[in-house]
Amino acid sequence: MSLEIQNLHVRIEEREILHGVDLKVSKGQTHALMGPNGSGKSTLANTIMGNPNYEVTEGKILFNGEDFTEADPDERARAGLFLAFQYPATIPGVSVANFLRLAVNARREEPMKVKDFGKYMRENVDLLKIDPSFVSRYLNEGFSGGEKKRAEILQLAMLKPEIAVLDETDSGLDIDALRIVSDGVNALSGPGMGSLIITHYTRILNYVRPGFVHIMLDGRIVREGGPELADKLEEHGYDFIREEVDGDDAG
Amino acid sequence: MPASVASGEQRSRNVVPASTAPDTLIWFAELRAQALKVYEREPLPNWRRSGFWTTSLRKLDLDALAPREHEPVSELPALVTGALGEQEVGALIVQSGASTVCTSVHPELAEQGVIVCPLDVAVQEHPELVREYYMRRISPDEGKFSAATAAFWTGGAFVHVPANVQVDKPIQSVYLIEEGGTAQYVHTLAIVGEQSECSIREYCLGAPITGQALHAGGFELYARPGANVKLAHFHDWGPGEIYDISTKRVEIARDARVDWVPVHLGGRLIKQTLDIVTAEKGSDMRHTGLYFTEGEEHLDLFTSDRHEAGYTTGDTVWKGALTGNSRASYEGLIHIVPNAQESHTYLQTHQMLLSQKARGDAIPSLIVETDSVSASHGGTVGELDEEQIFYMTSRGIPRSEAVRILVEGYFEEVVQRLDDEGLQELVRRRIARKLADAEDQVAEFIGERA
Repeated sequence: MSLEIQNLHVRIEEREILHGVDLKVSKGQTHALMGPNGSGKSTLANTIMGNPNYEVTEGKILFNGEDFTEADPDERARAGLFLAFQYPATIPGVSVANFLRLAVNARREEPMKVKDFGKYMRENVDLLKIDPSFVSRYLNEGFSGGEKKRAEILQLAMLKPEIAVLDETDSGLDIDALRIVSDGVNALSGPGMGSLIITHYTRILNYVRPGFVHIMLDGRIVREGGPELADKLEEHGYDFIREEVDGDDAG
Repeated sequence: MPASVASGEQRSRNVVPASTAPDTLIWFAELRAQALKVYEREPLPNWRRSGFWTTSLRKLDLDALAPREHEPVSELPALVTGALGEQEVGALIVQSGASTVCTSVHPELAEQGVIVCPLDVAVQEHPELVREYYMRRISPDEGKFSAATAAFWTGGAFVHVPANVQVDKPIQSVYLIEEGGTAQYVHTLAIVGEQSECSIREYCLGAPITGQALHAGGFELYARPGANVKLAHFHDWGPGEIYDISTKRVEIARDARVDWVPVHLGGRLIKQTLDIVTAEKGSDMRHTGLYFTEGEEHLDLFTSDRHEAGYTTGDTVWKGALTGNSRASYEGLIHIVPNAQESHTYLQTHQMLLSQKARGDAIPSLIVETDSVSASHGGTVGELDEEQIFYMTSRGIPRSEAVRILVEGYFEEVVQRLDDEGLQELVRRRIARKLADAEDQVAEFIGERA
C-alpha cells in the first residue's frame, strides 16, 4: 500500500517545474517534504492529486502499484488519495456538512444513512475540537486561515485516505490552531494512513514527528534522511543545504 | 407586423365607452380608452442597448393571438398543484387565459378584513380603494405593452390588507397559460396597510403549448408606512413559445420594508421591467433575484432600485446562469434622486455561462443625483471556476456532479431568501432539472476548458 513517484517531470504553461522527482510514501509512514518557496513542493502536491493545470511530461505516479499518472482527480480520491490544500477553494452555498456528506458518499456504493452520517460527523467534530456550528457554514466562505485548515483536517478525518498529502497545512496558523491541526494529524496517523507533510517551516515538526525527511530545491529532491535532517535544517537554514548541494555539483 | 384594427377590437371588448359607464367607473373607462389609444398608436417595440443586445418581437405573431376564456374549475390543474405543493393557503386566485378559474380566501383572512379577489371584481366592489392606487406607478404611456395591459386586462388580482394586521398564511395568485394562440393581459394590485405584515407570492406557469402565446402583465405593490411584506414572483412558462412582456413596480412607504424575490426559470422571450421604490424616509428594500435560461430562451431584465427619499436602504443581488443557445441580459440600476440624502444601497449582479453558444451580459449602473449617500455596485460575468471543480473532484466527487453542486450552490444564496420551504424546493428542483437536461453540453463546455 503506497504512493510511488518515479522520475516525475511536470510542466505548467511551458515551464518545467519538476525535473525528475522520486519519492515513495507507504501506509503507516509519516514523511516531511521541505523546501524553500518556489522549490516545487506545491506543484508536486497538485500533480499527485491530478490538477489539470499541471502537465506530466515524463515519469509516473503509482498508487498501490497501479499507474495513476493520467487518472482524474476524483478517481484518485476514491482510490484513497487525499490532498489538504494550501489555499482551499471557497464553495458558496454548500455547507461544510453537505459537502462532507457528498464527499463521504462519493466513495461508497450505498450512501450513508442521514442519521449515521450525522453521528459520524459529530464524532469527528468532537475529535478535532471543532465548534459544532462550524459545519453549517458555507465551505470556506469567510473562513479565517485557521478555519480553512480545520475544514481540511475535518475532511481528512472523515474521508480516511490511505495516503494524505498536506500542503503547507501549517502556514497561516496561530499556535493553538497549529496544535489542533497537528493533534488531528497525529490522531489520524497510524498503520492505516501514510502522510506526506509539505512545509516550508520546521514549526509543525515540533508537533508531528516524521520518520522520513526529504528536502526539495529547484524541482529536485536533493537530500533525504530521518528526523535529524529537519533538525539540521532548523539550525542552518536552506542556504546551508543549497551551498552543500552546489558544492556536490561542483565536485 | 403592425397590429390590425380587427384584433384591437377583439381585445378591447373590455374597453367600455366612458359615456356608458356608471358614475363611479367613469375614471376607469377613461383610463382604458386612453390606454387603447396608446396601444393603437405605438408600433411593436424593439429594445436595443449598446453592444450586441437587442430584444425583438419580430417572431411574435401578435395578430394571431386572442384572449381565451375558461370556465371556473373545482379541481386545480396539475401544473398549479405541482407548483404550489403542500403549502398552507391564506388566499388563492388562479387565472387561466383570460378568466379567473378559482378564488378562495381562508376564513381567518376574511375575519381580519383582508380582501383578496379578482381585480375586475374589486373595480366594481371597491372602486374607491382601487382608484386610489391603480396605475399610480405604471403609466399606459410607457409603451405598447403597458398600454395593452391597461386597455385589455381581464380577471387579475386584488389584494388589500388593512392596517395593523399580521397575515400568517401566504396570499397567492397564479397566472396560467394552457393553450397556444392565446394572449393573457393581467394586472395585480396589492396594497398592504400601515404596520401590517404578509407574504405575497405570484406564480406564472405555462403548459408545454404548441404555437405562440403572450402574457402581458402589470404588477403593483404598495407597502404602506411600517408594513413588512415578503414578495415572491415565480416564473416558469415551460418549454412552449410563450412571450412575457411585463412591468412590475413596488412602492415602499415610510419605515416599511419589502423583501422581493423574483425568479425566472422559463419562457421563450421575457422582457420585464422590475422597479422597487423606497418612496419615503426609513423605507428599506431587499431585492434578490435569479434566472436560469436554456435552449432558445431569450431573457431581458431591467431592474431599478429607486430611492426617492433620504434615510432609505437597499440591497440587491441578482444571479443568473445560461445554457444552450440562450440569451440573457440583466441590467440593474440604482437611482438616487435629488434630496434623497443618507440613502445607503448596494447592488451586485452575477452571471454564469454554462455553454459555448449562450450569450449574456450583466450590467450594474448608478445614477446618483445627491450627496451624502453610499451607493455601490459590483458585477461578475464568468464561467465555473476550474479551481473549485478541482477542489471538489479531489474529494472524490465526479466532475459532472461537482458542476451541478457548484451551480446549485451559486443560486442557493437567492433560494434561501424565499420565505417558504416548498417554494425553495420547487426552485431547487427546477434548477437541478435544467442542469440535468443540459448535462452533456455543460460537460463538453467545462471539459474543453480543462
